[in-house]
Amino acid sequence: MDFDHVFSTFRVSASGLAAERLRMKVIANNLANANVTRTPEGGPFRKDEVMFRSVLDRAMGADGLGGVAVEGLTKSTEPFRVEYRPGHPDADPTTGMLKLSNVNSVTEMIDMMGASRSYQANLAVLTTYKDMMNQTLRLGR
Amino acid sequence: MTNDTSFTVLQKVLDTATLRHKVIANNIANVNTPGYHRREVCFQDELARLAATGDGERLAAARPEVLESHEGPFRADGNNVNVERELADLMKNALVYRTCTQLLSSRIAGYRAAISGQSATS
Repeated sequence: MDFDHVFSTFRVSASGLAAERLRMKVIANNLANANVTRTPEGGPFRKDEVMFRSVLDRAMGADGLGGVAVEGLTKSTEPFRVEYRPGHPDADPTTGMLKLSNVNSVTEMIDMMGASRSYQANLAVLTTYKDMMNQTLRLGR
Repeated sequence: MTNDTSFTVLQKVLDTATLRHKVIANNIANVNTPGYHRREVCFQDELARLAATGDGERLAAARPEVLESHEGPFRADGNNVNVERELADLMKNALVYRTCTQLLSSRIAGYRAAISGQSATS
Protein backbone atom coordinates (compact mmCIF):
# COMPACT_ATOMS: atom_id res chain seq x y z
CA MET A 1 0.00 0.00 0.00
CA ASP A 2 1.63 3.22 -1.14
CA PHE A 3 0.88 6.76 -0.05
CA ASP A 4 -1.23 7.56 -3.06
CA HIS A 5 -3.51 4.67 -2.11
CA VAL A 6 -3.81 6.11 1.41
CA PHE A 7 -4.75 9.56 0.16
CA SER A 8 -7.12 8.37 -2.56
CA THR A 9 -9.80 7.72 0.11
CA PHE A 10 -9.54 11.37 1.15
CA ARG A 11 -10.05 12.32 -2.49
CA VAL A 12 -13.19 10.14 -2.75
CA SER A 13 -14.75 11.86 0.29
CA ALA A 14 -13.59 15.28 -0.92
CA SER A 15 -15.30 14.71 -4.28
CA GLY A 16 -18.54 13.97 -2.41
CA LEU A 17 -18.17 17.12 -0.32
CA ALA A 18 -17.48 19.24 -3.40
CA ALA A 19 -20.47 17.76 -5.26
CA GLU A 20 -22.86 18.39 -2.36
CA ARG A 21 -21.51 21.92 -1.90
CA LEU A 22 -22.17 22.65 -5.56
CA ARG A 23 -25.68 21.24 -5.21
CA MET A 24 -26.21 23.60 -2.27
CA LYS A 25 -24.99 26.53 -4.39
CA VAL A 26 -27.40 25.62 -7.20
CA ILE A 27 -30.28 25.41 -4.69
CA ALA A 28 -29.29 28.84 -3.29
CA ASN A 29 -29.25 30.24 -6.84
CA ASN A 30 -32.65 28.70 -7.61
CA LEU A 31 -34.20 30.16 -4.46
CA ALA A 32 -32.60 33.57 -5.06
CA ASN A 33 -34.09 33.62 -8.56
CA ALA A 34 -37.50 32.22 -7.60
CA ASN A 35 -39.30 35.43 -8.55
CA VAL A 36 -37.19 36.49 -11.53
CA THR A 37 -39.20 37.29 -14.66
CA ARG A 38 -36.37 38.58 -16.86
CA THR A 39 -33.29 36.58 -17.83
CA PRO A 40 -30.56 37.19 -20.47
CA GLU A 41 -31.98 34.29 -22.54
CA GLY A 42 -35.48 35.81 -22.30
CA GLY A 43 -38.51 34.77 -20.26
CA PRO A 44 -38.63 33.89 -16.57
CA PHE A 45 -35.87 32.04 -14.72
CA ARG A 46 -35.65 28.29 -15.30
CA LYS A 47 -34.59 26.16 -12.35
CA ASP A 48 -31.14 24.53 -12.60
CA GLU A 49 -30.67 20.87 -11.80
CA VAL A 50 -27.37 19.18 -10.92
CA MET A 51 -26.42 15.94 -12.64
CA PHE A 52 -24.06 13.64 -10.73
CA ARG A 53 -22.10 10.76 -12.17
CA SER A 54 -19.77 8.27 -10.51
CA VAL A 55 -16.10 8.35 -11.46
CA LEU A 56 -14.04 5.32 -12.37
CA ASP A 57 -10.44 5.62 -11.24
CA ARG A 58 -8.47 4.18 -14.15
CA ALA A 59 -4.97 4.69 -12.75
CA MET A 60 -2.57 1.72 -12.68
CA GLY A 61 -3.34 -0.66 -9.83
CA ALA A 62 -6.34 1.41 -8.76
CA ASP A 63 -9.54 -0.24 -7.56
CA GLY A 64 -11.83 1.86 -9.76
CA LEU A 65 -13.27 3.87 -6.88
CA GLY A 66 -13.00 7.48 -7.97
CA GLY A 67 -15.83 9.16 -6.08
CA VAL A 68 -18.36 11.41 -7.72
CA ALA A 69 -18.26 14.24 -10.24
CA VAL A 70 -20.75 16.84 -11.42
CA GLU A 71 -21.71 16.06 -14.99
CA GLY A 72 -23.19 19.50 -15.45
CA LEU A 73 -26.23 21.65 -14.89
CA THR A 74 -29.43 21.19 -16.83
CA LYS A 75 -32.38 23.53 -17.06
CA SER A 76 -35.61 22.10 -15.67
CA THR A 77 -38.38 21.68 -18.26
CA GLU A 78 -41.16 21.97 -15.69
CA PRO A 79 -43.88 24.47 -16.73
CA PHE A 80 -43.69 28.04 -15.48
CA ARG A 81 -46.04 29.28 -12.78
CA VAL A 82 -48.69 31.61 -14.20
CA GLU A 83 -50.41 34.31 -12.18
CA TYR A 84 -52.93 37.03 -13.05
CA ARG A 85 -50.92 40.26 -12.55
CA PRO A 86 -52.24 42.81 -15.08
CA GLY A 87 -50.16 45.69 -13.68
CA HIS A 88 -46.81 43.92 -14.02
CA PRO A 89 -44.56 45.22 -16.84
CA ASP A 90 -43.69 41.63 -17.94
CA ALA A 91 -47.29 40.42 -17.96
CA ASP A 92 -49.05 39.54 -21.21
CA PRO A 93 -50.67 42.90 -22.27
CA THR A 94 -53.85 41.26 -23.63
CA THR A 95 -54.58 38.62 -20.97
CA GLY A 96 -52.76 40.13 -17.97
CA MET A 97 -51.16 36.76 -17.16
CA LEU A 98 -47.57 36.81 -15.81
CA LYS A 99 -45.19 33.90 -16.24
CA LEU A 100 -43.04 33.30 -13.14
CA SER A 101 -40.02 31.00 -12.69
CA ASN A 102 -40.60 27.24 -12.32
CA VAL A 103 -38.76 27.14 -8.96
CA ASN A 104 -40.82 25.45 -6.24
CA SER A 105 -39.46 26.68 -2.91
CA VAL A 106 -40.73 23.62 -0.99
CA THR A 107 -38.89 21.24 -3.34
CA GLU A 108 -35.77 23.38 -3.05
CA MET A 109 -35.90 23.33 0.76
CA ILE A 110 -36.21 19.54 0.75
CA ASP A 111 -33.28 19.27 -1.67
CA MET A 112 -31.33 21.61 0.56
CA MET A 113 -31.83 19.31 3.56
CA GLY A 114 -30.78 16.35 1.43
CA ALA A 115 -27.62 18.14 0.32
CA SER A 116 -26.85 19.15 3.90
CA ARG A 117 -27.25 15.58 5.23
CA SER A 118 -25.17 14.10 2.41
CA TYR A 119 -22.45 16.65 3.14
CA GLN A 120 -22.46 15.60 6.80
CA ALA A 121 -22.25 11.92 5.85
CA ASN A 122 -19.23 12.57 3.62
CA LEU A 123 -17.61 14.58 6.40
CA ALA A 124 -18.20 11.74 8.88
CA VAL A 125 -16.39 9.34 6.53
CA LEU A 126 -13.49 11.76 6.18
CA THR A 127 -13.15 12.26 9.96
CA THR A 128 -13.30 8.52 10.65
CA TYR A 129 -10.61 7.86 8.05
CA LYS A 130 -8.38 10.52 9.58
CA ASP A 131 -8.78 8.82 12.99
CA MET A 132 -7.95 5.43 11.45
CA MET A 133 -4.77 6.77 9.88
CA ASN A 134 -3.77 8.41 13.18
CA GLN A 135 -4.12 5.02 14.90
CA THR A 136 -1.81 3.53 12.28
CA LEU A 137 0.75 6.26 12.87
CA ARG A 138 0.71 5.44 16.59
CA LEU A 139 1.39 1.72 15.95
CA GLY A 140 4.10 0.28 18.18
CA ARG A 141 4.41 3.32 20.45
CA MET B 1 8.97 -13.96 14.10
CA THR B 2 9.13 -14.56 10.36
CA ASN B 3 6.82 -17.56 10.62
CA ASP B 4 4.35 -15.72 12.84
CA THR B 5 1.20 -15.57 10.66
CA SER B 6 -0.66 -13.30 13.10
CA PHE B 7 1.23 -10.31 11.67
CA THR B 8 0.15 -11.29 8.14
CA VAL B 9 -3.45 -11.82 9.24
CA LEU B 10 -3.58 -8.47 11.05
CA GLN B 11 -1.99 -6.72 8.09
CA LYS B 12 -4.56 -8.27 5.75
CA VAL B 13 -7.41 -7.23 8.01
CA LEU B 14 -6.05 -3.67 8.12
CA ASP B 15 -5.64 -3.60 4.32
CA THR B 16 -9.19 -4.90 3.87
CA ALA B 17 -10.57 -2.38 6.37
CA THR B 18 -8.81 0.44 4.48
CA LEU B 19 -10.28 -0.76 1.19
CA ARG B 20 -13.72 -1.20 2.74
CA HIS B 21 -13.53 2.32 4.10
CA LYS B 22 -12.77 3.62 0.62
CA VAL B 23 -15.68 1.64 -0.84
CA ILE B 24 -18.04 3.08 1.80
CA ALA B 25 -16.66 6.58 1.09
CA ASN B 26 -17.36 6.01 -2.61
CA ASN B 27 -20.90 4.77 -1.87
CA ILE B 28 -21.68 7.81 0.29
CA ALA B 29 -20.15 10.21 -2.24
CA ASN B 30 -22.45 8.69 -4.87
CA VAL B 31 -25.63 8.74 -2.78
CA ASN B 32 -27.25 11.16 -5.26
CA THR B 33 -25.85 9.66 -8.48
CA PRO B 34 -28.67 8.23 -10.62
CA GLY B 35 -28.17 4.55 -11.51
CA TYR B 36 -25.27 4.01 -9.10
CA HIS B 37 -25.12 0.57 -7.48
CA ARG B 38 -23.47 0.25 -4.08
CA ARG B 39 -20.23 -1.69 -3.85
CA GLU B 40 -19.00 -3.94 -1.07
CA VAL B 41 -15.88 -5.82 -0.06
CA CYS B 42 -16.05 -9.59 0.38
CA PHE B 43 -13.05 -11.06 2.14
CA GLN B 44 -13.94 -12.14 5.70
CA ASP B 45 -14.80 -15.78 4.84
CA GLU B 46 -11.81 -16.23 2.56
CA LEU B 47 -9.50 -14.67 5.17
CA ALA B 48 -10.86 -16.88 7.97
CA ARG B 49 -10.39 -20.00 5.81
CA LEU B 50 -6.79 -19.08 4.88
CA ALA B 51 -5.92 -18.06 8.44
CA ALA B 52 -7.16 -21.47 9.65
CA THR B 53 -4.80 -23.27 7.25
CA GLY B 54 -1.85 -21.25 8.60
CA ASP B 55 -0.36 -21.02 5.09
CA GLY B 56 1.52 -17.70 5.33
CA GLU B 57 2.41 -17.42 1.65
CA ARG B 58 -1.11 -17.98 0.32
CA LEU B 59 -2.39 -15.64 3.01
CA ALA B 60 0.01 -12.89 1.92
CA ALA B 61 -1.04 -13.32 -1.72
CA ALA B 62 -4.79 -13.14 -1.04
CA ARG B 63 -6.49 -9.95 -2.20
CA PRO B 64 -9.90 -8.58 -1.18
CA GLU B 65 -12.44 -8.08 -3.96
CA VAL B 66 -14.81 -5.19 -4.62
CA LEU B 67 -18.22 -6.40 -5.78
CA GLU B 68 -21.19 -4.48 -7.08
CA SER B 69 -24.39 -5.12 -5.12
CA HIS B 70 -27.64 -5.49 -7.04
CA GLU B 71 -29.84 -6.06 -4.01
CA GLY B 72 -32.75 -3.69 -3.47
CA PRO B 73 -34.57 -1.62 -2.52
CA PHE B 74 -33.74 0.69 -5.40
CA ARG B 75 -34.84 4.30 -5.44
CA ALA B 76 -36.74 5.69 -8.43
CA ASP B 77 -33.43 6.90 -9.93
CA GLY B 78 -31.96 3.37 -9.88
CA ASN B 79 -29.68 4.00 -6.89
CA ASN B 80 -29.54 1.50 -4.00
CA VAL B 81 -27.28 3.37 -1.53
CA ASN B 82 -28.73 3.58 1.99
CA VAL B 83 -26.78 6.22 3.94
CA GLU B 84 -27.77 4.82 7.36
CA ARG B 85 -26.52 1.38 6.42
CA GLU B 86 -23.29 2.79 5.00
CA LEU B 87 -22.64 4.83 8.15
CA ALA B 88 -23.31 1.79 10.34
CA ASP B 89 -20.85 -0.23 8.21
CA LEU B 90 -18.40 2.65 8.50
CA MET B 91 -18.52 2.64 12.31
CA LYS B 92 -18.17 -1.15 12.42
CA ASN B 93 -15.24 -1.01 10.03
CA ALA B 94 -13.54 1.74 12.07
CA LEU B 95 -13.89 -0.41 15.20
CA VAL B 96 -12.37 -3.42 13.41
CA TYR B 97 -9.50 -1.21 12.31
CA ARG B 98 -9.00 0.11 15.83
CA THR B 99 -9.04 -3.40 17.29
CA CYS B 100 -6.42 -4.55 14.80
CA THR B 101 -4.10 -1.63 15.45
CA GLN B 102 -4.35 -2.31 19.20
CA LEU B 103 -3.65 -6.01 18.70
CA LEU B 104 -0.71 -5.18 16.46
CA SER B 105 0.60 -2.68 19.01
CA SER B 106 0.45 -5.21 21.82
CA ARG B 107 2.19 -7.80 19.61
CA ILE B 108 4.97 -5.33 18.86
CA ALA B 109 5.21 -4.44 22.56
CA GLY B 110 5.47 -8.14 23.37
CA TYR B 111 8.33 -8.69 20.92
CA ARG B 112 10.07 -5.55 22.11
CA ALA B 113 9.86 -6.77 25.72
CA ALA B 114 11.22 -10.18 24.70
CA ILE B 115 14.13 -8.57 22.82
CA SER B 116 15.08 -6.15 25.60
CA GLY B 117 14.40 -8.67 28.37
CA GLN B 118 11.98 -6.43 30.22
CA SER B 119 8.47 -7.02 31.46
CA ALA B 120 5.86 -6.24 28.78
CA THR B 121 3.80 -4.18 31.21
CA SER B 122 6.56 -1.73 32.16
